[in-house]
Amino acid sequence: MDEILDGLTQIDCDILVIGGGTAGPMAALKAKRKNPEANVVLLDKANVKRSGAISMGMDGLNNSVIPGYATPEQYTKEITIANDGICDQAAVYRYAQECYGIIQELDSFGIRFQKDQNGEYDVKKVHHIGTYVLPMPNGDTVKKALYRQLRKARINIINRFMATRLLTGEGRVAGAICVNTRSAEFLVVRAKAVIMGLGAAGRLGLPTSGYLYGTYENASNSGEGYAMAYHAGAGLANLECYQINPLIKDYNGPACAYVAGPMGGYTANASGERFIECDYWSGQMMQEFYDELQGGKGPVYLKLNHLAEETISEIERVLHIVERPTRGHFHEGRGTDYRKQMIEMHISEIGFCSGHSASGVFVDEHARTTIPGLYAAGDMANVPHNYMLGAFTNGAFAGLDAADFVANVDFAAFDKGEVDAERARVMAPTKRDDGVPPNQIEYKTRRLVNDYLQPPKVTAKMELAQQRFEEVRDDMQHGMYVRDAHELMRALEASTILDCAEMAAAASMYRTESRWGLYHNRVEYERDDENWFCHTMLTKGEDGKPAHEKQDVKPYIVEIAEDEKDAYYKQRVGATSSVAAE
Amino acid sequence: MTAVDQLFEDFDDIADLAEGLDDPSPGARIMAVIELADTADPAAIPFIARAITDDDAGVRKQAAQALTDFDGVETAAALVSALDDDDPAVIDAAARSLTELKDPKSGGAILPHLSAANDVKLRACLAGIKELRRVEAMGPAIAALQHVSAEVREQAVGVIGWLQDESALPALRDAAKDADVKVRRTALSALGFSKSDHAEATLVNALADPEWMVREAAAETLAKTGGASCIAALRGVLGDEYWQVRLKAVRSLGKLRATEAAMEIGPMMDVPVPNLRKECAAALGELAVPETAQFLEKYADDRDPDVRKNVRWALEKLAA
Amino acid sequence: MPLAQTATTVPVVVNDDLCIADKGCTVCVDVCPLDVLRIVEKDNGKKTAYMKYDECWYCMPCEADCPTDAVTVNLPYLLK
Repeated sequence: MDEILDGLTQIDCDILVIGGGTAGPMAALKAKRKNPEANVVLLDKANVKRSGAISMGMDGLNNSVIPGYATPEQYTKEITIANDGICDQAAVYRYAQECYGIIQELDSFGIRFQKDQNGEYDVKKVHHIGTYVLPMPNGDTVKKALYRQLRKARINIINRFMATRLLTGEGRVAGAICVNTRSAEFLVVRAKAVIMGLGAAGRLGLPTSGYLYGTYENASNSGEGYAMAYHAGAGLANLECYQINPLIKDYNGPACAYVAGPMGGYTANASGERFIECDYWSGQMMQEFYDELQGGKGPVYLKLNHLAEETISEIERVLHIVERPTRGHFHEGRGTDYRKQMIEMHISEIGFCSGHSASGVFVDEHARTTIPGLYAAGDMANVPHNYMLGAFTNGAFAGLDAADFVANVDFAAFDKGEVDAERARVMAPTKRDDGVPPNQIEYKTRRLVNDYLQPPKVTAKMELAQQRFEEVRDDMQHGMYVRDAHELMRALEASTILDCAEMAAAASMYRTESRWGLYHNRVEYERDDENWFCHTMLTKGEDGKPAHEKQDVKPYIVEIAEDEKDAYYKQRVGATSSVAAE
Repeated sequence: MTAVDQLFEDFDDIADLAEGLDDPSPGARIMAVIELADTADPAAIPFIARAITDDDAGVRKQAAQALTDFDGVETAAALVSALDDDDPAVIDAAARSLTELKDPKSGGAILPHLSAANDVKLRACLAGIKELRRVEAMGPAIAALQHVSAEVREQAVGVIGWLQDESALPALRDAAKDADVKVRRTALSALGFSKSDHAEATLVNALADPEWMVREAAAETLAKTGGASCIAALRGVLGDEYWQVRLKAVRSLGKLRATEAAMEIGPMMDVPVPNLRKECAAALGELAVPETAQFLEKYADDRDPDVRKNVRWALEKLAA
Repeated sequence: MPLAQTATTVPVVVNDDLCIADKGCTVCVDVCPLDVLRIVEKDNGKKTAYMKYDECWYCMPCEADCPTDAVTVNLPYLLK
């Protein structure tokens, strides 16, 4: 294994789904069920059994819209406000209308949600307006249940092949070029439609520990979806709206306020007092977190030590078994005990991820990108705040729409020269006798991201970042060296990470205002609704560099009152129609 | 062999995979079980069911785990049989897989065992039948409320609660007086489906339970029954020694629109427990009794943002 | 520039007495999202899984899915 082989195979399929984590499997299942004759291929650079952000499970749904607890209108309003108004509501609204059906379907797969003693969904209130949190105390079975469904539907699964570039022709998608992560053999997949569910760009910033893989997101989510969409010519929206999350310091895993919150735990400053004003997870909330960390009242802590023993035991059971089970080991190693002390928190490195933020490959309410036949769903697509349930639901939308799309088209012709050029690009590091290994290229890129791109954003620093990225790119293109196929995968990831870093810098430079709290805090600029109440669209320009344009926010479906629009921006509660938080 | 020769995951022949179950090495048999499970093909069930009687405990455990991927009577029967294993790890795995069954028909294999003499087996069978909601389980579950093991009784209450049948109220009422805290708590929560006076009377009585977690469950569930007596009873625990109980009572009174409790909740704004103060402000807003403004106004600029937000929101409601 | 051999401690530990890689088991290798585990033949001819690349997200499927409880995931030293 890992020895570099020379090979090229081509296969055809109707629908190629890239990414077997959350959105991808659901897209594949829905497409196959809608069109059982279609040849659906699901490809992953890891193994579909345990790939993606929810590799080990998930401890709850953060954004379930369940009749009787929240309405699609309420939810759409909440998400619009949390995004400072920059939101095409159609996709959010459709999600809100259909996600309950997806919950029931997941339930039928054997994915387990918390139910009360009468067998009804036990929905918890965490946010101010609606009630959206549905815990999953046995959420460690998610991937197994999904995998079972894929096998039952006889979806063709290809593991350990990494897609590196999309193929296009005739103005639409034509397939993808992939490379095996253990042999470096090439696979060209011709497809009538391609659905991307490649997850977040989670290896963009460097975590405080300095460990390359100690990231908040699953470290295998290194941003291939963004890079492939970019090189194929698709539009990417609002990339300057970074993801930054609160987390347990050093462990770098989520603090899981959605688990601890309904049970009485909260985020506190060094005095043990609550300080967060903002109602919904947003850049404003992260700005408050950052201010507290930097402002002399920090550090920030997860406070549970005021709770009863029985409550803490239950929190431990959920937090330490599901989603990131090593968290129990971490606290044990540190000698920290929820009963005795507060647990130090911090903020994450930056990344792209619509799961908790709003940037990504631009899609509409059918998960269509700007390239016909190309779809995107989950953390990499720009439907804001969609979390795991959004990945499932938008993945379903993509699969359903793609099933229709392929019924009416044949394979698009593409330029064979693209395949040759990509093989040459990918294999270059294997052709050298020595040079810079991919981990050093990656470390340097990510260290520069921290030094120069991490908010608060400063123009001159971002310009420096752009210069330094050019230098790293030059080293990468002319000097990167790998010894086996595994290192080649890391080399390809390093190249993706560098692409994402350059897009992050370019997008942040373009929007000359501050918006979304800490996510796009440009210290030299105030918020500017007159000029910047719009999406920013980034595409690959003629010169091979990022090009930008503004795109209007589509008219709202659910009206937002004038005084509510920037409720989070002003850090205050809206005057009307809200309900008190529990 | 190169990677492209085996591009797709296999859909192997079940019989071929099952040959591995006859390998002399337990490790190889474990592998055969894993491969059979990965097919997700119901045709694999009889073979995995056979492996659950293997000589090696590791193979049996793997088989019990593997059956999580399947459903139906045959799966359930194999899992129930594994509950008689002498290795605790096999029993644990089988018990867990039993709770993953979804098809109500699977319950057919569990129902005959709902009076099992073995505690562990009985508990697992009750836990397994719960989500299948088989009405035939009601009788055995009620009978199991007399069982000596509290864990068995807790599972029995779960079965009854999921069936949501008014005729089982007397049984739940008895369970609400059980000697075990968890059983009492579970029984009280299970009463939430009923709007009857009996259910409410049981919940009201439980507000005097010596254990705080029981009182908490009763205070929370009373918001669902909402009959004549519950408001007075909930007001009675606003001075409970546990803030957790008071919090749930305040929340329930808010949900029940119990305006007569507002002047008692008002002074609780002064209690130095952030979670409770936040809840009181929210409830006062829901009740919107103008006279409570005096208790809220002094906290309109509270240091705690959650308290402050709820206070301001409540004051708006009072003014409206 | 030539490469150096720099030592690093790895977080995933395999108990090779329990490991059944000899029987064709590759469960831990298969499930790792970062593909950092491999099978090696030891001096005595027996095969075992081991962590070849120090690129671990400490996510646990290798430990959770191992049929013989041979795998332990520790936290990488840099963050523990």
